[in-house]
Amino acid sequence: MSATRLIARDELRLMARNRVAVVAVLLILVLTLVAVLTAWSHQRDLAELRQRQQAAATAAFEAQPDRHPHRVVHYGQFLFRPLGALAAFDPGVDAFTGSSMFAEGHRQNTANFGDVRQGSSLTRFGQLTPAFVLQSVAPLLLIFLGFGAVVRETERGTLRSLLVGGAARGEVVRGKALALGLVAALVGLPAMAGLALIAGQAGVQALPVAAIALGYALYLALWVALVVLVSVLARRSRDALLVLLLAWAVTVVLVPRAAPEMAGRAIPLANRLETDVGVARDLRRVGDSHNPADPTFAAFKARTLARYGVARVEDLPVNYKGLLAVEGERITSRLFDRYAAAGFAAQERQNAAVAAAGLLSPAVAIRQLSMAAAGTNFAGHRRFLDQAEAYRFALVQKLNRLEADAVSYADDTAEDPGADRRKRVDAHHWTEMPRFAFAGPDGAELARGAVPGLSLLAGWLAAAVAALWFATRRLGVR
Amino acid sequence: MRVWMVELRLLLRARPTVVAVLLLTLLSAAAVTGGMAEVSRQRAAIARIASAQAEDVGAIAKWVNEKKDPGSAAYYTFHATWDAPSPLAFAALGMRDVAPFIQRVRALGLEAQIYDGDNFNPELALPGRFDWSFVLVFLMPLFVIVLFHDLSSGEREAGRARTLAAVPGGIAPVLRRRTALRLGAILLAAVLPFAVGAALSGAQPLPVSAAIGLAAAYALFWVGAAALVSRLRWSSTANAATLAAAWLVLVLVLVVPTFANVAIARAVPVAQGAEIALAQREQVNRAWDIPREETMRRFYAGHPRLADSAPLPTGFHYKWYFAFHQVGDEGVAGRVAAYRAGLERRGAAADALGLVLPSVGVQAALTRLARTDLEAQLAFQDRVRAYHRRLRDFYYGYLFYDRPFGTADFARAPRFGGIADD
Repeated sequence: MSATRLIARDELRLMARNRVAVVAVLLILVLTLVAVLTAWSHQRDLAELRQRQQAAATAAFEAQPDRHPHRVVHYGQFLFRPLGALAAFDPGVDAFTGSSMFAEGHRQNTANFGDVRQGSSLTRFGQLTPAFVLQSVAPLLLIFLGFGAVVRETERGTLRSLLVGGAARGEVVRGKALALGLVAALVGLPAMAGLALIAGQAGVQALPVAAIALGYALYLALWVALVVLVSVLARRSRDALLVLLLAWAVTVVLVPRAAPEMAGRAIPLANRLETDVGVARDLRRVGDSHNPADPTFAAFKARTLARYGVARVEDLPVNYKGLLAVEGERITSRLFDRYAAAGFAAQERQNAAVAAAGLLSPAVAIRQLSMAAAGTNFAGHRRFLDQAEAYRFALVQKLNRLEADAVSYADDTAEDPGADRRKRVDAHHWTEMPRFAFAGPDGAELARGAVPGLSLLAGWLAAAVAALWFATRRLGVR
Repeated sequence: MRVWMVELRLLLRARPTVVAVLLLTLLSAAAVTGGMAEVSRQRAAIARIASAQAEDVGAIAKWVNEKKDPGSAAYYTFHATWDAPSPLAFAALGMRDVAPFIQRVRALGLEAQIYDGDNFNPELALPGRFDWSFVLVFLMPLFVIVLFHDLSSGEREAGRARTLAAVPGGIAPVLRRRTALRLGAILLAAVLPFAVGAALSGAQPLPVSAAIGLAAAYALFWVGAAALVSRLRWSSTANAATLAAAWLVLVLVLVVPTFANVAIARAVPVAQGAEIALAQREQVNRAWDIPREETMRRFYAGHPRLADSAPLPTGFHYKWYFAFHQVGDEGVAGRVAAYRAGLERRGAAADALGLVLPSVGVQAALTRLARTDLEAQLAFQDRVRAYHRRLRDFYYGYLFYDRPFGTADFARAPRFGGIADD
């Protein structure tokens, strides 16, 4: 048996004899299991609830009686953001973004009813998920179990006898790292088993799951290397522990909070009131539909009349009010899209600034990677917002066209007692409207989102291993 | 007095201690500065409302004035409401980043408007804010651990414990003095930036002293925990590890508070807000499919003062439109109350946990003092509701009696704020 393996075996035996260490490992195993189970059942409950609510909303939409198409434009449709299976592993921003959105004509609404506004302040302490356990708690356990690995031998002078006994410095350090690495693998095991179970469900793709697994393997390996590195460099056990605790507090607790703070301050985001007022202002500039003499709409009218070769809107073969609604929606939606794109761009710049903090803290890198691969980051939410807006526009325009084709201009402008009945179109039209079906991202796209985080973590690991290699050469020289 | 000076000099000579205290001061100051910047950003956003609204409403007034139709004025005009940050908000930003502090409403159905959120980046909100309450609740205990884990074990390990025990009075008074000095240093480091920030923000002395008292009690709790652990007479290393594990369990994970969060969410399911929105839409849109007189009867039953309004004309009239919106709101009042009660029960459960768990308790108390918690969010909603009632009353006065609504009338609309909305 090589010296490395002998030393690793000894280290593991020592840990197994340390009752506190055994209890700590058992606790974290139980914690991970509980996290896997609660997060999974929470995800399934939410996914099911949203599916049920979407089905109820769709059924209500299709069960509408005969109505004027424009009434249906305002009746609108509720869209619920489906929750992917991987959200059971890392729910990401799900609780912070609303889960439902009301799609109607001439308005772009926000996604409402996020858990964070419906819960107590406890939500802000963090969420008990497998991702959280691996990101925050597992490194701390590795610190407690490993801070003394090498420095203990240095302090007691046993390192010298090991070296005299023929073991190379490298073998000692590799042996200690191997032992701690095995502990890390054990600690990561239940979460990975949970991930495998979650991945076994229908519709989960292999690539993002592999990216997540690789990411956490790199992350835990990095902490093993860091812990052993500090243990090699420190003169006293206590110093090693305090330095590692400080490193943990800074990289896992402080930087992930401070970085978004700075990003938010550096890159401002327009609030809703300003956006809405801006949209209204631009709309007045483009064309004021309330003003009969407005040049934009006057031009539209002239264009339409010319196209059909008639002199009055009453002579058009289609309902002019419907055409006007189509044109109006086209104009407002273009503005909405412009403002939304500016908002998204600002948020993406903010997120990129936070991602850069992954250079300071591997915890930031693993968070970004994990959420990106699970499809629960901002990009995942934006995917929903984009599809919801595309659906809203398509639905509203289809209804506006229906008004143009199925309701006559004479009826649409009439105010006599029977006019209401004549303005309505048959209820079967509502079942012919498109249903909202969220198209989930494909695996390659999700995995691509994880690449920056993976590269950062690989860089961190390479740097830590290199530092460990240099430190090992000087081990015991003092 | 002289022994205190000696101890102080000893403390100042211990480099790690000085570095730790300076670092805590720096973090606390950074959090206070950041919190104040955020609050001033929010105040600036509130200050910008008036001009943005003037522009927006002015443009509507221009075209409404031609026909002077009160229905169009009521339908198209958004009115701004806002929740100004309290003087202490900088210290604990609470929910102010995820719940809107500016909201525009119109006299239409409120239940379709009041749950709207503002624009915010969820990825920035996810890790939690870096404010003073974070420094106090999460970071200060770590500094207590660093400064206290070797208070007596360090003397033992350095071989001085026996000598100290031999001096008159024994080791106890020495340790007491050291405890007092270190605690004082940590508290000063944590609280001084806060006190400066509070003074600059013009906070009242009572909540400020309450927050400082909380900070002192919380620090004492951790010093007590360190003292308890040191009675086990373990090594400094074992003390530090034990205390850090306790910090992890109490502040961050395990049993609490993430666990409690899951438990509370399960125990108190809030009758999902989305269902309110769905039900209200159904109520509102049904009005188009039933006789208009039926809606008016239901409306006048709740609002007898307006019942002397003229009967509906054959064509469209906005008073019917607003009546069915209000009837829609009233139709979901039961669900709204249940939703609200569920939220309050969740908040109460978290507060109850705070009585047992210092970290949660301090966080909850600070957000309460700063008026940035769930309760404050609900109170803001109540003010929006009250204001919305005044808005409806105002427009109904024109709508139901067909009084013309001109440019001057826009200026007469009720303004948010003041006692009327509390």
